[in-house]
Amino acid sequence: MSQTIVIDPVTRIEGHSKITIQLDDRGEVVDAHFHVTQFRGFERITQGRPVHEMPALMARICGICPVSHLIASAKAVDDIMAVEPTPTGADLRRIINLGQIVQSNALSFFHLSSPDLLFGFDADPAIRNIIGVARANPQLAMDGIGLRKWGQQIIEWLGGKRIHPEGIVPGGVAFQLTPEVRDRILAGVPEAIAAVDRAIAWYKTDMLRWEEEASTFGNFRSAFMGLVDRNGNVDHYDGWLRVVDADGKFLADRVDPKLFNDYIGEAVEPWSYLKTTYWKPMGYPDGLYRVGPLARLNVAEKTGTPRADEELEKFRWRVGRIASSSFHYHYARLIDTLNAIERIEELLRGPDILSTHVRSVAGINRNEGIGVSEAPRGTLMHHYKVDDDGIVQWVNLVIATGHNNAAMNRAVLQVARHHVKADRLVEPMLNRVEAVIRCYDPCLSCSTHALGQMALRVQLLGPDGTVLDELVR
Amino acid sequence: MTSVAPGRALVVGYGNTLRSDDGVGRVVAERLADDPRLDGADVRAVHQLTPELAEDASAACVLVLVDASVEVPPGSVLVETLGSGAGMGAATSHHVGADELVALAHELWGSAPPVYVVRVGVESMGVGDRLSPAIEDAVPIAMDAVVALVAEHGHA
Repeated sequence: MSQTIVIDPVTRIEGHSKITIQLDDRGEVVDAHFHVTQFRGFERITQGRPVHEMPALMARICGICPVSHLIASAKAVDDIMAVEPTPTGADLRRIINLGQIVQSNALSFFHLSSPDLLFGFDADPAIRNIIGVARANPQLAMDGIGLRKWGQQIIEWLGGKRIHPEGIVPGGVAFQLTPEVRDRILAGVPEAIAAVDRAIAWYKTDMLRWEEEASTFGNFRSAFMGLVDRNGNVDHYDGWLRVVDADGKFLADRVDPKLFNDYIGEAVEPWSYLKTTYWKPMGYPDGLYRVGPLARLNVAEKTGTPRADEELEKFRWRVGRIASSSFHYHYARLIDTLNAIERIEELLRGPDILSTHVRSVAGINRNEGIGVSEAPRGTLMHHYKVDDDGIVQWVNLVIATGHNNAAMNRAVLQVARHHVKADRLVEPMLNRVEAVIRCYDPCLSCSTHALGQMALRVQLLGPDGTVLDELVR
Repeated sequence: MTSVAPGRALVVGYGNTLRSDDGVGRVVAERLADDPRLDGADVRAVHQLTPELAEDASAACVLVLVDASVEVPPGSVLVETLGSGAGMGAATSHHVGADELVALAHELWGSAPPVYVVRVGVESMGVGDRLSPAIEDAVPIAMDAVVALVAEHGHA
């Protein structure tokens, strides 16, 4: 008799979801789904609003990564206004975006995932949290808190607020940078780099413990996508789209991000509110690809900053030129953070960073605009259509977690096949199925969280929906 | 990298100002920010408590949190004392409760100040950007309660 295991909700991710695992008559896993069960509707509710309001409205999508949506939205409105931000405005946008990447990566690695890595996936859930980390490895906890604080301070100082900042506007930014703020941010750079260095050293020492997980946590061949600059190095704000296959061969390079619709399709499945994107030339569902920190390292030649490039070289020596296991998102996230910190310092030391020319002004010059940037979790695309008065008529958002949706489902299936035993429901299986999702750090765009405090409910259902077994945590 | 001068009082009002009365803690903090009675104190209005506040909390002489409460009668103000270093139970991520914040301060930075939570009973948590009239009337009472707590512990 076939059965279904339901994990609801999945904890320590940004949002609400559940996982179902389908068993066949012999009790073997035949399918698995990662369901996003919350509905937002921003693409609909923003219709009819003046387009200049869009960045501020879109920032409300998420309390964790509002800057990412601000950036992509402002770039889409730039496109509608047919205007280029001033060079200083663009650099300040870059800095605030990198601050966002530092704080969000820190949240993902230190707060959400390090408890699993420190205590093991089978440890008591009561200690597998940031407070448990604080007791067992205070330096690791302090480094995570310090990095997140520094990233948030950058957002607050440049954007006006830590959550839902207002400083990024169409045409550039709203506020010029003062020497005092520049110096305050720069003063935090050495400690931020030291914190990531310590975390990378700890991770590299510890990662051998997780060889089994690395081999089964979403370890499959797929394509990867990310933005790269003119040298083919990581670019978190602008540049061209590059897509490589599992062997590193270019599937596409130097693609204008505004043409993404020519390459990326979106599928809708009845079991989730999250759209699934796919690489059009390969069709759906075969056109699976991944985005985010691991993809950024896989598609790029280098990170473009010295210390991060040193670590990238070691990363590739350990896991290969194209890392295929999603478990390596953790390692990649640390290198991505180091790259972001170095880039922030480089930009702040630029000769024109204190310029008063931070915003270009223009009106409605096009009826359609696209903005693309790298969010912490991967490539983010905003696409708007407006009427001649600049009133929004149509919106489409292609978010990082949507790019990764097919890969997450495949990863859950792989882990379930490796760990699920049909005759019982056990914590280790639950922990690993959840943990593989956390590798992708999915953001399901909820603005209020009480993560870790949610109950974990797992149900084993018969084909008629009867509850055959239940586990509650 | 703390931004609170050691020995100063830290007042943190938190809540969601787009959910009507849930934002009362922030309203109290925003109005106290320029209140001369709290000269020398660090007053902050934030969306929610986060682990990043732990370091600043550890350096403060007293921590006063201001929050909305559905367990207190609407418009009433209740002052609670939180045990230092207690409350290590709940698993959390980027959001922490008051007790976890104190626990983090104690665990990572070796000290936690006396902690008080000023709870304001709320009426409506629906979508809205202003307080209910009864809750608005409670704001000065909550402000006075905060001032009294800070004065009791000193903050120079």
